[in-house]
Amino acid sequence: MRILLAEDDPLLGDGLRTGLRQQGFLVDWVRDGLAAEREIACGNHQAAVLDLGLPLKDGMEVLQSLRHQKITLPILVLTARDAVPDRIKGLDGGADDYVVKPVDLFELGARLRSLVRRAHGHTQDCLSCGALQVNLAARSVTLSGQAVGLSMREFDLLHVLMLNAERVMSREQLEQQLYSWGYEVESNAVEVHIHHLRKKLQADLIQTVRGVGYTLMPPKDPPTEPAP
Amino acid sequence: MILFKRLASLQARLLALLLTLILCVWVSAAVLSWIDTRHELDELLDAHLAQSAALLVAQQTDTDEADRDHRPHRRHTFDDDDHPDAPTLHKYATRVAFQVFHDGKLTLHSGTAPQTPMSQRLRGFATVQLPEGGSWRVFGAQGNKGDVQVFVGEQVRSRQSILWAMMQSVLMPLLAALPVLALLGWLAVRQSLTPLRTLSQALSRRQPQSVEPLVIADTPSEMAPVVASLNSLLARIGQMMATERRFTADAAHELRTPIAAIRAQAQVALGAGEDAAQRNQALRHTLAGCDRATHLVAQLLTLSRLETAGNTRPGLRVDVCQITQRIAADLAPAALARTQVLTLEASTPALIAADEALTAVLIRNLIDNALRYSPEGAQVNVDVHHTQTHVTLQVNDSGPGLPAADLARLGERFFRGLGTTQTGSGLGWSIVRRIADVYRAQVQAGPSALGGLCVTVTWPIAPDQGPPQI
Repeated sequence: MRILLAEDDPLLGDGLRTGLRQQGFLVDWVRDGLAAEREIACGNHQAAVLDLGLPLKDGMEVLQSLRHQKITLPILVLTARDAVPDRIKGLDGGADDYVVKPVDLFELGARLRSLVRRAHGHTQDCLSCGALQVNLAARSVTLSGQAVGLSMREFDLLHVLMLNAERVMSREQLEQQLYSWGYEVESNAVEVHIHHLRKKLQADLIQTVRGVGYTLMPPKDPPTEPAP
Repeated sequence: MILFKRLASLQARLLALLLTLILCVWVSAAVLSWIDTRHELDELLDAHLAQSAALLVAQQTDTDEADRDHRPHRRHTFDDDDHPDAPTLHKYATRVAFQVFHDGKLTLHSGTAPQTPMSQRLRGFATVQLPEGGSWRVFGAQGNKGDVQVFVGEQVRSRQSILWAMMQSVLMPLLAALPVLALLGWLAVRQSLTPLRTLSQALSRRQPQSVEPLVIADTPSEMAPVVASLNSLLARIGQMMATERRFTADAAHELRTPIAAIRAQAQVALGAGEDAAQRNQALRHTLAGCDRATHLVAQLLTLSRLETAGNTRPGLRVDVCQITQRIAADLAPAALARTQVLTLEASTPALIAADEALTAVLIRNLIDNALRYSPEGAQVNVDVHHTQTHVTLQVNDSGPGLPAADLARLGERFFRGLGTTQTGSGLGWSIVRRIADVYRAQVQAGPSALGGLCVTVTWPIAPDQGPPQI
């Protein structure tokens, strides 16, 4: 899950980035309001953690300007402004969640997963597709009750595909969701990961749409769970 | 007056004062009227004595002449014995007495009178002690030829009882009026002190944090200054509380970020698992976060003391050069560790009138800022010089400097320039400006010839007298 972190404090930013990475998030870190707005508008992330007291452009202004542009990316506001009027202003101003510093990193991770889940219309921290079950918090995958060991990238790829089940994702889209800044993306990385996933899971779970991309299709044979 | 001051309540004090005054006036009136009445009574009764004596003398003279006119029986009517007694006609008659002597021989006397002459004084008034009845007022009179001597006396005690009776009729109503006066006085004092009571009730009903001005209906002119002073005090307290509240809110807000950073880094260290490098890095960051929080708290406390105490310690003569040298020496090791070059140009004593500790805080903040926000290997020049009228401290650095928009915001609490990897409190400038204000120093910031920021502080030079503090 690729997250944008907008925080101007070097120590806190570093701590949040490393802590969220430990939980399997892909974190891109920007330090000012203008960069935050630009990156969120690009749409490469699944959620954003936004500090309000940002240099160059205040977090509230960034939030309002994004919502004005009809950008619906889940945004979690993480701020030191703890007064109730500030919270109300933040939530009404377009924040999906409002968290006051200091925050527990695991709580922050859970809130981000929850935001992303709800943004895709899910209600539980467990995604399923046919016999396939994905637990996001535990980052575990089971197929017909059998645990499947996946690498970090494989899990992330499966997660993105499951969130966007029955929709075709291009290779570029998948790459953008999979790699945060500073990682060299090999040209065939996505193909390699898809290959491994097919080997570890059912071969027909991930379909290739030639020239367009990949899609996760639930098996046609019953029992079928309608994808949301 | 000292006694009245011992009384805690103003009402009791006023009442005690009032009653004492009434009592004094009453006692003086009583004493005066007693003296006056006694005097008048004495005059009146003395006149009666004199008149009675005159009457007796005249009568005896008549009797003598009648003797000469051969009417001896007249004399014999009283001459049943040698010393005829006059009849006692009235109960008060026991308190009066008379004696008539013919040629030294007692011829007529009242029953109360002794056999010997009542007074040694043959003419006029005398107060004498007699074996019977104690003290007597006696009037002596003589006939024209000197053969008739008359004494008329009256017991002094009887005069006293008349005086006492008269005084009673005058003083009793006054005595009865005293409690009534006291009651009325109490009511009057109580009534007059109502606004004071209203004020105290209004004050005691107030919430401790309430600083709205007091409004008392019908404030008497004596109390108006009190209420006005109270309201002005309340206004000042309100202002101080607002400053304090704003400060606390700001401080709490500013402390959240360093604490959040410490927490996040500590959690990262916990979650690092086998990754020793990551854990060590996170622990180092945790320590850095603690250092920053400590620095922030210290700065906050300095600023808080400056703002709330209204710190106006009188300035003594302190040497900017010496303070700067000391601080530069303190900060040099850290600068060397970051391969920064810190140079100081300060040789002549430059005396200003200021507090040494506060001046040190100001200079430390400026040099610390220059070092903190300049990259490794940067140059920081500190220069102290003075003219006839001013002492100037200049701190130049070759750091990134500040854009004009940020320069304007310097001194705003918690404002930090952008893009710095150093973790300042954002309070240094507030502190510098506040201390500068206290000692009438000018602070200017602008681009430096070294490429970074140039900060200039200008103090008025200390008056040329007295020994320097350091």
